[in-house]
Amino acid sequence: MPAGRRGPAAQSARRPPPLLPLLLLCVLGAPQAGSGADTAVISPQDPTLLIGSSLLATCSVHGDPPGATAEGLYWTLNGRRLPPELSRVLNASTLALALANLNGSRQQSGDNLVCHARDGSILAGSCLYVGLPPEKPVNISCWSKNMKDLTCRWTPGAHGETFLHTNYSLKYKLRWYGQDNTCEEYHTVGPHSCHIPKDLALFTPYEIWVEATNRLGSARSDVLTLDILDVVRSPQKQPGYPHSTENTWPGHLPLGSPVTTDPPPDVHVSRVGGLEDQLSVRWVSPPALKDFLFQAKYQIRYRVEDSVDWKVVDDVSNQTSCRLAGLKPGTVYFVQVRCNPFGIYGSKKAGIWSEWSHPTAASTPRSERSGPGGGACEPRGGEPSSGPVRRELKQFLGWLKKHAYCSNLSFRLYDQWRAWMQKSHKTRNQDEGILPSGRRGTARGPAR
Amino acid sequence: MGFPDRPRAPQGGQKPKDPQADSSVSLLPHLEAKIRQTHSLAHLLTKYAEQLLQEYVQLQGDPFGLPSFSPPRLPVAGLSAPAPSHAGLPVHERLRLDAAALAALPPLLDVVRRRQAELNPRAQRLLRRLEDAARQARALGAAVEALLAALGAANRGPRAEPPTATASAASAAGVFPAKVLGLRVCGLYREWLSRTEGDLGQLLAGGPA
Repeated sequence: MPAGRRGPAAQSARRPPPLLPLLLLCVLGAPQAGSGADTAVISPQDPTLLIGSSLLATCSVHGDPPGATAEGLYWTLNGRRLPPELSRVLNASTLALALANLNGSRQQSGDNLVCHARDGSILAGSCLYVGLPPEKPVNISCWSKNMKDLTCRWTPGAHGETFLHTNYSLKYKLRWYGQDNTCEEYHTVGPHSCHIPKDLALFTPYEIWVEATNRLGSARSDVLTLDILDVVRSPQKQPGYPHSTENTWPGHLPLGSPVTTDPPPDVHVSRVGGLEDQLSVRWVSPPALKDFLFQAKYQIRYRVEDSVDWKVVDDVSNQTSCRLAGLKPGTVYFVQVRCNPFGIYGSKKAGIWSEWSHPTAASTPRSERSGPGGGACEPRGGEPSSGPVRRELKQFLGWLKKHAYCSNLSFRLYDQWRAWMQKSHKTRNQDEGILPSGRRGTARGPAR
Repeated sequence: MGFPDRPRAPQGGQKPKDPQADSSVSLLPHLEAKIRQTHSLAHLLTKYAEQLLQEYVQLQGDPFGLPSFSPPRLPVAGLSAPAPSHAGLPVHERLRLDAAALAALPPLLDVVRRRQAELNPRAQRLLRRLEDAARQARALGAAVEALLAALGAANRGPRAEPPTATASAASAAGVFPAKVLGLRVCGLYREWLSRTEGDLGQLLAGGPA
């Protein structure tokens, strides 16, 4: 390392440790009475410097016995002996060292600069802190699990590595009033994250920012303004969640982000009396709906046991039951339900579909023939003939109720009629001796 | 205060002279088990102390981890290394010194931990080891004192108070001396644990008497 002219030695940004009373320890550098050993002092002690800067240090020997000189002293830095040409005897008791174009510190506890006696024994030491000031933290992103807490992540400034220990502090305050608060639970979802567990207000914006500090200075991020209500996410949607697929991390969440819930619990699937082509699905609204005061729409999907193709029933509005129709008799079906909250606290915004509920299975009754298509919940892309017929029937019934004063008309009534039709069809078949295949048998029955 | 007399085997119908011999005999297996247990603890903690020392030197940076590194052996207030004459003392006297050293170590280890929390704030494992070391030294010291009390060899004089953290703190003027002091304390911790293990082993070999 070439010797250079004396460069600026930055003042250490670290305050000296508080002096503790009744110190009894002999400090390295302080003369030890009667010890007979040379001791020395290095100056400056523990300087903080910018990468690329220069340092001029001195090692001054306090001789005991008198006469100890700087001759024969040498320097090491992190255990490596420094070239003699970097050193110079200033006077009888002082050896100087000139270092130029310093590299970043090798360890965060500081580079160890040591002054040695001729025999190699250590006379004094000083720790150098060489690095960069912190850059402005960026990409702050925050989310809430339950509208009571807040977790934030950020990215250190552009260069990241400062070679010095850099402390990050997440601060927050209510936008229009209140004092600055400091987050206390760090590293919850990664090295640059913090969690605020409670005492957060809703319906009012917070200002959030990150301050980075090290021995060479500090930097502050831009301020992120958000309302806790707008950054609620289910656990599966949070950054860092193992199976999260719907987040676009990195990137902060814009204001007004949609909300989701857990899937509907307690999904039950059961037969509808003797109807061999229908199953009834019932579920419970997610409990979170009660807290959040919003409505929900639902979606149902179902498949045959040994199939991978799901059929989806869309737009099951704010109800907690549905009847699947047009199913195959004597078949096991798996059914799932999911929920989309909307209208949170009165807004009209749609939310994000929840995860599907755990599959629930049920089987349709066995029958000789499959039932006709159609039902209260129409399968999307299912039997084409049942879909439009059912839709038209619904419209007709709706019209009848309005114009023909048939207030008792409903799909339930229609289904009851269908069940009756099937029963009477069975009975007729038995009377006429019609076999399950539909062929006529030899049994005698009343002529048609 | 000496140890209770070891009961002698009766010879030609002779009864043991110590009237409390019967109760001493019944206590011996229990004491032996306690000594064995404490010895095992000391052995385990000596291993931990080695690991602590290795982790410590690694985090201070070279030359601390180099074999050639030979810092001055700074005296630490309230605690010195085992003297060369230690091995020549009676075992109960050695154990008293061991217990005293183990009682003096926790505040010193706390000081080192606090300083390392400033110098190496991300070194969670080192900080945890230092915290554990203080707790373990306290536990082993208490176990040794309990043994000494059971053996009737506890120190009857006024107990020397272990130096407080403020009195013995190595709040050196600089970071380098603080690093050296931490190394010294970790080294003393290892030395005294090793010494305690050895002394307990000798006690185990020789029996409670």
